[in-house]
Amino acid sequence: MIDLIEVFDRAETGPLTSETDYYMKRYVPKLAELIARHRIKWDRETIINTDDDLTDRVFAAAVDLLAEAGAYCPETNRVMELTRDEIVRACGECPTEATFGEGRERGTMRGRRPDTTDDRPWVHVGGGIYTTDEQIYLDTVEKMASFDIVDSVSVPSILHMRGKDARVRSPQEVLAACKTVRLAREGIRRSGRAGLPIINGISAASQPASMFAASYPDFGLRPSDGFLIDFLSEMVVGYEALQKVAFYNSISANIGSTSTPLFGGYAGGAEGVAVQATCYMIMGNLIFRGSYHYNAPLHSKLHLSSTKPLIWAIAMSNAAIGRNMRYPMVNLPYLGGGSGTKQYHHEMACYLLAVVTSGGNVFSGHPAMSVQPDSLVPDDHKFHAEIGLAAAGLTRAQAEPIAQQLYPLFGDKLKEPDKGLTFQQVYDMQSKRIINDDYLRVIDEVRAELAGMGLEVPES
Amino acid sequence: MGDAEIFERLKQSMIEQDQDEVLAAVDDALAGGVEAKAIIDQGLLPGLNVIGEQFECEEIFLPELMQAALAFQAAMGVLEPKIREAGGAGPKKGRIVLGTVKGDLHSIGKNILKLLFETSGFEVWDLGIDVDLFKFLDKAKEVDADIIAMSALLTTTLIGQRDVIEALTEQGRRDKVKVMIGGGATTQAWADQIGADGWAATAYEAMTLATGLVAR
Repeated sequence: MIDLIEVFDRAETGPLTSETDYYMKRYVPKLAELIARHRIKWDRETIINTDDDLTDRVFAAAVDLLAEAGAYCPETNRVMELTRDEIVRACGECPTEATFGEGRERGTMRGRRPDTTDDRPWVHVGGGIYTTDEQIYLDTVEKMASFDIVDSVSVPSILHMRGKDARVRSPQEVLAACKTVRLAREGIRRSGRAGLPIINGISAASQPASMFAASYPDFGLRPSDGFLIDFLSEMVVGYEALQKVAFYNSISANIGSTSTPLFGGYAGGAEGVAVQATCYMIMGNLIFRGSYHYNAPLHSKLHLSSTKPLIWAIAMSNAAIGRNMRYPMVNLPYLGGGSGTKQYHHEMACYLLAVVTSGGNVFSGHPAMSVQPDSLVPDDHKFHAEIGLAAAGLTRAQAEPIAQQLYPLFGDKLKEPDKGLTFQQVYDMQSKRIINDDYLRVIDEVRAELAGMGLEVPES
Repeated sequence: MGDAEIFERLKQSMIEQDQDEVLAAVDDALAGGVEAKAIIDQGLLPGLNVIGEQFECEEIFLPELMQAALAFQAAMGVLEPKIREAGGAGPKKGRIVLGTVKGDLHSIGKNILKLLFETSGFEVWDLGIDVDLFKFLDKAKEVDADIIAMSALLTTTLIGQRDVIEALTEQGRRDKVKVMIGGGATTQAWADQIGADGWAATAYEAMTLATGLVAR
């Protein structure tokens, strides 16, 4: 693989162009041409693709996209050009597993091939939802970490310092990042699993100074946790991201390359998002030197991941990488339904059936499009982890009819999703036991529905 | 070719986002004696309305929207001088200063909005991303803007929207300009809290909102 400093240099030496020209003269026409050249077409019905030839064409288009359009560095206004040979070689040398955690919680996330039914995928739960209260924060993290089936957690965010908003780039943002990490590690210690890895300890949106400060070992993060570095906009590789790449590579930390290709944005619809999402994983390995990938395609208007074309595109990108690189990946879903609602569970089940059978690992998701405070209800995430593990026993062809039965249960609700519950509405705040009988009833009913559709989800 | 056919050709060329055909249709219409304002109002804008509807229905996406906007801008480059020569006022609906707030580097949503504003007849000054609050204020004052439109994707950058409204108030100019907000981290509740004049969940809703705000 080409040297990392050589990668950085490409941001200094490529052709000069404005961002608008990059998109309009290079990226947009090239992506359209590649979709036509590689005959990539979504049939508007399929949720989980099983056509491996199409899958491999998506991968080939993704390689071509990076080779022929290049990435874009807004700080230097230059296209970062990489040759096809450099890209193909990097794909061949991509890590296929990443080790996280310490002591008895140490474990390995593996890149999976589609239709692998005899392995146990990595189980990651949680999300970057923010909490209104430190006690709720600690309780949320402790409860998620205490589930035996969980291999790693994402933790909520702290947005306030002494009751005031922590503004981006402010000293308070640095302090909030440090505080988030300290509280997260404390919550995990309280679960009795101190070595459990945190995969998103610091928000990818944080400025580099906040991320580096919060990485100070005394606060509780270690290189064996995971550190997210994201692409800002389609194919954009900014200096802030490259600063983080430089730092986390220097301490040999696990880097989670992170991308959010937008459905309806520059990549267009399902076909473009599938190619772009796949291309980001190639870029995450080559440019960010990631150990694993956080794949988070999103609908530009609905701000969620569970429309039919998006699930198809996300599953397709998993299969394309799983068949051709086996870069370890998790998929970060944003769902419309609020916590504890049937809609949320139906969306997650459909999403997990698609991505886990296509080669992804298990990751529970954000309810209520991640905008509802205190909406991370740990037992939702345990249920979704159980669904993900059950899905891992199926092939794509077996999962597709179940996904097709699930989609009508939520597809029409995505524009006005069902409202959900908060942590406080589910748990007794002293004992932390579930006190909301309706909440448990809904889970039981969805478990029975899934069994009726052909997906038995054993309770862990 | 009658006027109806001329306008239909203009409309179709916009719908097809074919810049060469748009310019050819504009040239032919002018040569045929059709007034520039009629070309816009009865040919190009109806085509753009279809583009907007197709975008909303997910039949087309941002790249097609950008192509349509570029074609429209090219046509306006030909038509605006004609309108000025004829002593007519510009056909703009209103003036909008647009940007992503300080600290926020996200641009796609803001860029989509810019295109929809422009193609629906607004004059837009796009200040880009990571925009200092005084740039919003100074540009709004300089161009006598009707609306300041601010995007924020991150929860930690929302405060930048509040800052602009507070600064407008401190300068005694809050009643001179409408303020609308949007972006992934925003909600109607946040808009109400900071005293914004409007909030939109999507770019298409924002376009409708802006039309309503300038009509007030």
